[in-house]
Amino acid sequence: MSILTNNASGTPGAAAPTGEQPPGKRHRRADPAAGKKTRRRQRWGRLDFKYSPYLYVSPFFILFALVGLFPLVYTFVVSINDWDLLGGAGDWVGLENYAAELSSPLFWNSLFNTFSIFLLSAIPQLLVATFIAAMLDQNIRAKTFWRMSVLIPYVVTPVAVTLIFSSAFDEKYGLINNLLQVINIDPVAWKSEVLPSHLAIATMVNWRWTGYNALILLAAMQAVPRELHESAALDGAGSMRRFFSITLPSIRPTMIFVIITATIGGLQIFTEPKLFNASSSVPGGPEREYQTTVLYLWDLAFNRGDFGRASAVAWMLFLIIIVIGLINFVLSGSIASASEGGSRKRRRAQRLAHRNAVRQAKAKVASKGERLTDAAASPKDGDSHD
Amino acid sequence: MKTSRKSKLAQSAALLGTIALLATGCGGADNAADAEPASVDNPVTLTVTTFGTMGLEALYEKYEKENPGVSIEATNIDTGGNALVDWKTKQASGAGLPDLQAVEEGWLGQVMAVSDSFTDLRDYGIEDLKSQWVDWKVEQATDAEGRIIGYGTDIGPEGLCYNTKLLEQADMPAERTEFAELIGGDDASWEAYFAAGKKYEEKTGKAWFDQSGFVWNAMVNQLDEGYYKSDGSLNIQGNAELNERWKQLAGAAEAGLSSGQTQWDWGKGQAFLDGSFATMPCPGWMLGVVKGQVEGAGGDASSGWDFADVFPGGPANWGGTFLTIPATSKNPAEAAKLATWLTDAQSQAAAFETAGTFPSNLEAQGSEQVTGSNELTKFFNDAPIGQLLANRAEGVKAQFKGADDSVIQEQVFGPATIALDGGKDGQAAWDEAMSTLTNLDIK
Repeated sequence: MSILTNNASGTPGAAAPTGEQPPGKRHRRADPAAGKKTRRRQRWGRLDFKYSPYLYVSPFFILFALVGLFPLVYTFVVSINDWDLLGGAGDWVGLENYAAELSSPLFWNSLFNTFSIFLLSAIPQLLVATFIAAMLDQNIRAKTFWRMSVLIPYVVTPVAVTLIFSSAFDEKYGLINNLLQVINIDPVAWKSEVLPSHLAIATMVNWRWTGYNALILLAAMQAVPRELHESAALDGAGSMRRFFSITLPSIRPTMIFVIITATIGGLQIFTEPKLFNASSSVPGGPEREYQTTVLYLWDLAFNRGDFGRASAVAWMLFLIIIVIGLINFVLSGSIASASEGGSRKRRRAQRLAHRNAVRQAKAKVASKGERLTDAAASPKDGDSHD
Repeated sequence: MKTSRKSKLAQSAALLGTIALLATGCGGADNAADAEPASVDNPVTLTVTTFGTMGLEALYEKYEKENPGVSIEATNIDTGGNALVDWKTKQASGAGLPDLQAVEEGWLGQVMAVSDSFTDLRDYGIEDLKSQWVDWKVEQATDAEGRIIGYGTDIGPEGLCYNTKLLEQADMPAERTEFAELIGGDDASWEAYFAAGKKYEEKTGKAWFDQSGFVWNAMVNQLDEGYYKSDGSLNIQGNAELNERWKQLAGAAEAGLSSGQTQWDWGKGQAFLDGSFATMPCPGWMLGVVKGQVEGAGGDASSGWDFADVFPGGPANWGGTFLTIPATSKNPAEAAKLATWLTDAQSQAAAFETAGTFPSNLEAQGSEQVTGSNELTKFFNDAPIGQLLANRAEGVKAQFKGADDSVIQEQVFGPATIALDGGKDGQAAWDEAMSTLTNLDIK
């Protein structure tokens, strides 16, 4: 039996030619001629086959345990102690830090700011990114140029972006308020009122991330089979209809990815509010107008020196992000599948319409001859040649 | 497409990973035995962290030339607030502290709580140098056990910066001594200062001072006891003196005397040139800041700024710095040598010349470089800044700074003064400050 020699070589790939014969079966022992050495090699090979994949992926997990899991657990330990930044660990206080934060108006204020900025940025950002991706997916000239252009904001470091926007949004001397005054609109208190400051920060986030998300969505759109578009076009579906019925449902997994990363990023926003008004003595605006939770956490830890409560906030933020991530996951799943066909009734109607359309097309083809189908197909052919 | 359970796991793993990066800590500092002195054969690199405008940059090069084998890696952090965070972060993690760390007076409460993590400079001969500084500067740097942890650099005696051109335009006394008389001369009071401001405001319709924050800092700093009593207990709620001063300031802001500028920004210096405000409380080190702001916005000495030998409410001190040697330093002896050199009369006089940081070193205070003319005096309409500041330093008392002094100043009263400038009623702003004090859990 050739199975034995094949398996003894030990590489997972070598198991492939065995075909239907699973490699782990006992009957391989049946060959009595195999020596002790061969058996040891055999066992080693089996172990190798079984465990080496884990070995190959282990570097990530070892690193993760070191720089991910350990700090996470350690943060929890800190959070259940009265821990001063400079003084170090104090008494064990149980969940007191959590209770203190949950009853602190500053904590809730930071949560409100975080969600407000997150919603103001994530929603327009995803809408615009999808639109840009759809546009870039068209047959346009100088494709690479446009694709590179939307990514440029992403290349600029957030600090630089923030400095530029912070200067533009300056209340007394900023570009935007100057322009507003030119057209006789009262200057807006971008840095000292809640909603304007959230809008300004959301603008920074959008400016940076829209292009990036657009490119990811574009990649997904490019992977949508052109045949689907072609046949839908043949059936008489307009470009809007094709976008909502073919493109969107097809890029659903990517959409979920983009939404989840946007959520994680959005709830952890720090640099933009931190540097938006760098001269403010309170991080996040004099009245904490745009103090996000991460910024609040940082202030708590490094300005006020209460490491225990800061760690408690970090853990609560962690839990919140997980919950929001799960909600996103469920929501985006159901939304995308709804746009795939809507209610069953509508789907049946669609199928019916489709059948009718096909029948009519067939009839037309029959009557007008082959020339028509050639004419209908050729522009689409041109599209797919890129 | 269905998402498998495994990819869900991967997602949660990724989530965990992103959060987990939030807190990392490492510790451990080895106290190396004192090494032999630096030389070409035994090169030593000393790291120095300063902040704001301390005027030490040119001195490092000089020291490197005079001391072959020593190279200095200097970091200057833009504001004292950022420098405090930087120091605290490094202090907490026990790593990354420089050999020489500049420490501000406002941090002393926090620094003294961990004073044993600084080198006791008595081991490096500071006792012999003690008499070179004004006495209260050394007292500030002494902890409860009598260890001295800082070499005094500058102090911040306050005078008034004012713009001669703007006052002339308003037909008000613009000459240095006449302006001082306007505020009340030796008996200058906040009433007189605000009264002059109201007169100016009525004539020009423009603001008298840049923003309320600095005025408030001065008002607090010149009290015998500020936010804390000398015994370390909080001294804000029920402090009639403090509240009275707040009401005065609120009245001034209400009368339109504050220009409501952003602290440390002043519209990138524009406000110093466009006549937004005519006066400003100026500790010694602020003079370098004003000059930098004006020049940054494209102005020069012709902008009309001057410095007067007067301060409302009596002598006041704001800030001032020490050079400390964190216990983590591997070269405390070399660091002490550098710090001693940087804080000697000659170096401190040189630092004053470049940055207007008024020295706590008595010999430097009397030196010709400090009393004579220099770049700063030229900028400030040939005001004899050194002499004026020496006058302003007389009678200053060092106020006790408590553990959360800087948090109270920046997070409790900082926003409240901004609110005053924004037109908020004085009582309402005070009440809000008190509720912030409660929310911040300061005891």
